[in-house]
Amino acid sequence: MFRRSSYASVAAGNSGQPQGSAPTRSGAFSHLANNNSSSGSYPTQATAQSSRHLSRSLDTDGYNTNMSTSWGRGGPLPSYSSHFGYLHGSGPTGQDGPLPPFFVPSYLRGSKYAERVEDAYKAKVAAQRELRSTQSSNAGSLSTSSSSVNLHKMVPSHRGLSHEIIERAPVYVDDQVTSWPTKWNEADMYPTLDVDEGGLQTKFTGPTPKSNDEAGSIRADHPMPRQGGIYYYEVTIVAKGKDGRMIGIGFTGPKVVLSRIPGWEPDSFAYHGDDGYSYSNTTSGKPFGPKFGTLDVIGCGVNFRKGTAFFTRNGHFLGEPFKDIKPNLSWYPTVGMKKNGETLRVNFGQEPFLFDIDKMVQAEKAEIQREIAAVKAPPRTEKDKSPFDETAFIHSLVSQYLAHDGYVETARAFQEEVAEESQALANEDADLSYIEVEEDVDAINRQKIRAAILEGDIDKALKHTNAYYPSVLQNNENIYFKLRCRKFIEMIRVTNDLASKRNQIIPTPPSKRSTASNGHNDEYDFEMELDEQLGVHNGSWNIGAENMNVDDDDDEDPEVHQQKLRELTSRAIAYGMELRQEFHNDPRREVKRALEDTFALIAYENAAESALAPLLDVSGRVPVAEELNSAILVSLGKNSRATLERLTQQTEALVNELAEDGGPGAFINVRRDVLT
Amino acid sequence: MQSSSSVSVSATTPTQHPFQRKVNEIKPSKSDINFVIMDYLISEGYPRAAEKFAKEANLTLPLEEDSIQSRVEIRRAIYAGDIDTAINKINDLNPQILDTDPSLHFALLRLQLIELIRTCTSSPSADITPALAFASAQLAPRAATNNDFLKDLELTMSLLIFLPTDSTLQPQFAELLEPSLRRDVAKRVNEAILTHMGARGESRLRSLVRLRVWAEQKARASGKNLPPVLPYTLQDPDDTHGIDNDTSDFMVT
Repeated sequence: MFRRSSYASVAAGNSGQPQGSAPTRSGAFSHLANNNSSSGSYPTQATAQSSRHLSRSLDTDGYNTNMSTSWGRGGPLPSYSSHFGYLHGSGPTGQDGPLPPFFVPSYLRGSKYAERVEDAYKAKVAAQRELRSTQSSNAGSLSTSSSSVNLHKMVPSHRGLSHEIIERAPVYVDDQVTSWPTKWNEADMYPTLDVDEGGLQTKFTGPTPKSNDEAGSIRADHPMPRQGGIYYYEVTIVAKGKDGRMIGIGFTGPKVVLSRIPGWEPDSFAYHGDDGYSYSNTTSGKPFGPKFGTLDVIGCGVNFRKGTAFFTRNGHFLGEPFKDIKPNLSWYPTVGMKKNGETLRVNFGQEPFLFDIDKMVQAEKAEIQREIAAVKAPPRTEKDKSPFDETAFIHSLVSQYLAHDGYVETARAFQEEVAEESQALANEDADLSYIEVEEDVDAINRQKIRAAILEGDIDKALKHTNAYYPSVLQNNENIYFKLRCRKFIEMIRVTNDLASKRNQIIPTPPSKRSTASNGHNDEYDFEMELDEQLGVHNGSWNIGAENMNVDDDDDEDPEVHQQKLRELTSRAIAYGMELRQEFHNDPRREVKRALEDTFALIAYENAAESALAPLLDVSGRVPVAEELNSAILVSLGKNSRATLERLTQQTEALVNELAEDGGPGAFINVRRDVLT
Repeated sequence: MQSSSSVSVSATTPTQHPFQRKVNEIKPSKSDINFVIMDYLISEGYPRAAEKFAKEANLTLPLEEDSIQSRVEIRRAIYAGDIDTAINKINDLNPQILDTDPSLHFALLRLQLIELIRTCTSSPSADITPALAFASAQLAPRAATNNDFLKDLELTMSLLIFLPTDSTLQPQFAELLEPSLRRDVAKRVNEAILTHMGARGESRLRSLVRLRVWAEQKARASGKNLPPVLPYTLQDPDDTHGIDNDTSDFMVT
């Protein structure tokens, strides 16, 4: 097994550099190295100019084995070209395990259920990789580059995952969610059948049975999922048998015998091709549709909300022969045949359907949306019979959220506007008693801290938090850790911005874009005072964002620019080492992973265009800011969630309840339909 | 990282209802909530709050903000009973809005009639001719084509006889004089403007609240295992104590 080398070099090798030519270094240090050091001889001048930290970490960057020991230790510099050659030659290219290709049937796309299945699939893939990589690298040191390697491979196909790794809880592995059918189940078929084409084609291979009763059936690998609300699949008759045709397409319970055509046994339902009849639970059918034969495409669907089943033929709806589908049984797509040579090909959604099932699902959704739009809320309480005043309720929800989360100015403006509105309505005794926006010192402090994080000024946030709520970071070490990681990310951001300026005109750096109300200048005096009080500036966070701000006029002189860049880079590295020093003994795997992912950023000259870009995105500041805000609220003995959030939670939970058994909730994706 | 769990669940009791556990497991994202708030402020017309919120939450103001000022003015006009101004402003924005929605147009005109009746019955000496003239010129032709309009018109005209100043007014007449009628019409106008701009008519927050109400009704009707009370109010002090500890989770902090 290929033994992975340092995260930085692996990452650099995957950073999309043009291949074929001698690879140039693409790390964050390349500008210092004057580039083109492909020969491997490192320019001594750069080493001389750079700080102690820089040279140390350059060693680690280049050193391709035993990272854990080489970190922070001087060492020989290997030839980059040979290093990359090695990497390209035996880099991680292998396929991952036996997981089948993933697909979502068109009509389920965007549903909550499909999201859950997809998340479960991703988690499985990630778990597999994790397993493989822990086997191949020594855990506990920075040389466990596995996760950064994985990231590169994962990011293009699974957007946003890298982001989650550091900023969010891991994908909640949902054991209860079962996939939709993906193929025929060879372990659940009558032996006279044969399965081919990756489990999608099935053929009757045995001799045509003499007995009228005997046939061969096969069930899909998973039952039709209720949580989807509607399930649908199609079967193409590829070839009919030598002795005629006898095909049933439908669904059965898990225990129904497979030596019979579906429809004849209890708990089985099907549409038969030889007579066009529909059969349910018995051998006597009812006239239903046309007979079907070679090259016909038959569709079979179940509407779990209504408990009905329907069929289509060559893209046309035929009707709903069954209206009493029991809700408490798992129903498997099932086909049965009995003539030698009969061959069927199934489409469980891997390919577009002939019938416009998406439209049917859309219509179902629209029906439910109309129902929701027409709903009338009951009076608020037993005592108060006055009708539920939706508008007033929403006003109070908004006010409470704004106050709770410390959006002080907004809360005040909103209250004023609502009051104006009420006055305009000329309703003298209008209820203006929406939650008063108090002059809440805590709210203002919390807003200050939030604003600092949203601006990317993590130091300021840490400082304020320690000043106002000293226990919060001590009691929430994970948040403290995230803030520290975020700070490193912010440093890389600034460095990257500056580096990319070298070649092009770049958009305004983030510090200039910031719109937060509390500008640095307004608070300058206060900051100084606070610093003096706390003495923080000689602590470990002494690389304030102020110092990192990139001034536009630096552009003029490339020398100054280079100098600045070197400074920023070495600071980032120094900080990174400090960060590692502080947390490298932390046994938690998520901490290790977050560290690895964060440090991997330094490998890129322009990380914003790399696979790790999501990590750098400013949107990553939001979850950190909110988590800290919640922790502060808890420390103050307040509820960590505003009423609006809890209402959202309730709504999602209620809709989930309504989706489990294929009820109307199956057609609602709260987040997608309402929140975004 | 299992970080948020430590802060997301407030003091819970061992006897927590299973559903409550499911509720707590759901972690709404703050960005989503902020987005919903911003969407609400913009679509329901709170421009100053929206601007502050953009600053405080570091969000960008949505582009469709263009119409917000006109929408606020239209709302103000309707609230003040100045329907003429409102109609003119709506037509300034886009004449199609009222042309394509006769029932909305009728609702506005009827509001105007109610205002006229209000003025001309305010004193015994006042002249009711303007109200009659307006009704026959503006509303009667429209009502002729639609039964619902006709009923509404008849009801409104009866105000002339039952005199709005009369404190013993029957409920169906009293309703016509409630400010909530103006509010409802203003809301419809706002949504129509937004829809015509290709935006979502109803604010997401409103949809969310309604979905919440619907989902609970539906879940109770189908016999799901829910706690007897699932409070989502935030002001009733009665709810803050009592019931049980689970529900205190839902009270305002």
